[in-house]
Amino acid sequence: MAGEIQRLTRSVCPVCLRQVPAERVRIGRELHLRKACPDHGPFQAVIWRGHTDFEAWLGGAEAEPLADAPGCPGACGQRGLCADHRQGTCCVVLEVTGRCDLGCRFCFASATAARKDPPLAQVRDWLARLTVPGQTLVQLSGGEPTLRDDLPEVAAAAKAAGCRFVQLNSNGLRLAEDPGYVRELAQAGVSFVFMQFDGTRDAIHQALRGRPLLAAKRRAIENCAAANLGVTLVPTLVPGVNTDDIGALVRFAAELSPAVRGVHFQPVAHFGRIPGPPADAGRFTLDQLLAAVEDQTGGMVLAEHLRPSRCDHPLCGFHGDFLAARGGRLVPLSPRRTGREPCCGPATPAQNRAFVARRWQRPEPGGPCCGGEDLRDMDTFLARVRSHGFTVTAMAFQDAGTLDLERLRRCSLHVFDDGRLVPFCARYLTGWRP
Amino acid sequence: MAEARTLICWQCQKELELRKTDFTYLGHTFYADMPRCPQCGQVYIPEELVRSRIAEVEMQMEDK
Repeated sequence: MAGEIQRLTRSVCPVCLRQVPAERVRIGRELHLRKACPDHGPFQAVIWRGHTDFEAWLGGAEAEPLADAPGCPGACGQRGLCADHRQGTCCVVLEVTGRCDLGCRFCFASATAARKDPPLAQVRDWLARLTVPGQTLVQLSGGEPTLRDDLPEVAAAAKAAGCRFVQLNSNGLRLAEDPGYVRELAQAGVSFVFMQFDGTRDAIHQALRGRPLLAAKRRAIENCAAANLGVTLVPTLVPGVNTDDIGALVRFAAELSPAVRGVHFQPVAHFGRIPGPPADAGRFTLDQLLAAVEDQTGGMVLAEHLRPSRCDHPLCGFHGDFLAARGGRLVPLSPRRTGREPCCGPATPAQNRAFVARRWQRPEPGGPCCGGEDLRDMDTFLARVRSHGFTVTAMAFQDAGTLDLERLRRCSLHVFDDGRLVPFCARYLTGWRP
Repeated sequence: MAEARTLICWQCQKELELRKTDFTYLGHTFYADMPRCPQCGQVYIPEELVRSRIAEVEMQMEDK
């Protein structure tokens, strides 16, 4: 299909990963990324379904033409961020293990049971090199980091190196079984937990992770709550598996506030270990998610309460800021989006870190809490928002089909790869077999 | 503390009384007890309230 060209950009061939010219084309209500490789032919992938006005969502974020950078994105993996990268580092992902105790259908890191862990001394050295004291938010990732018995030492090393926040990315299985380990992690300096949590039904966990995991996930949340560790639930959204569970996930999470700090949706991206190259029916676009959140929460969360990413490219995610009132009701804190907001603007990584930490990290126990019912009372509001802040956020990762260098160059989520900082979607970019 | 002082409305020469007062910020309405003139209704906002609770309301509600 022809379609009207919305913007010229650059991408990669999904097979050989060489940089190729690409165009965003409007086909009916949808936006597609279209490109062709001299060796492997044409490719096209849907990136927007038309539930939300595409141009309004971009907010003028792309006024400048995309600068030419012939090495992008392959050079990222060899040399790290280059002078053409347009955003600083918000969060640093550090793989502390390649091992995992699950064998998921989708895994960006292609983790397996067999790999060896880097020694603690090596991890300490990495932490010393990646940390900007007083600023860095490091994500301890993998693989499954909790397979390391010395993870509390790793967290302590991150704090000792000067990391301001230490986020643990985990499937939650060990957190469910070992409350003493959870306490050790909290005492060592873990600030909050990002926990894989794909749905409120065991059939979803079975389909994506190969096991019924709901009971274990609940125990993990309880154990983290007992250690005052905030948990943000992270569902990978796969069409036909759990995209009908989005509203239930928000309600489930809100009812577990303040132990649960929010839901961070990740529409599936096809990199790392995947079942196979995706058809458009296997994609769930950011605007589909916006519409589904509103529809499936019965309007408790409106799409207009969710704002485009400012720290990254607007097509890479959204955030919504709420207070969880009694009974799991979410009260929006930000005004509704009008569609006439100025461009995403210069939100700095430091602002972004301050925002997420304010919501995802639980306050020290013992502060005034949430006794009153009337949120118009300023003291009641302040006590409640400190203890029961709640976020609905999303990150739309890019794969070999959807990778857009316009977006990649504004990425603020960087993987530390032995001295190099590599944008997340470049680090895990995986070619497809034709 | 400043709140403990007696405050007089300069215009009406009446002693201010603590009254429930509404604020609107970014579409949300809050109330707090504030010194207010019983005659003209003028409100005195103590600086320490501005620097503490009102500043925190702003910080909590503003977008990142």
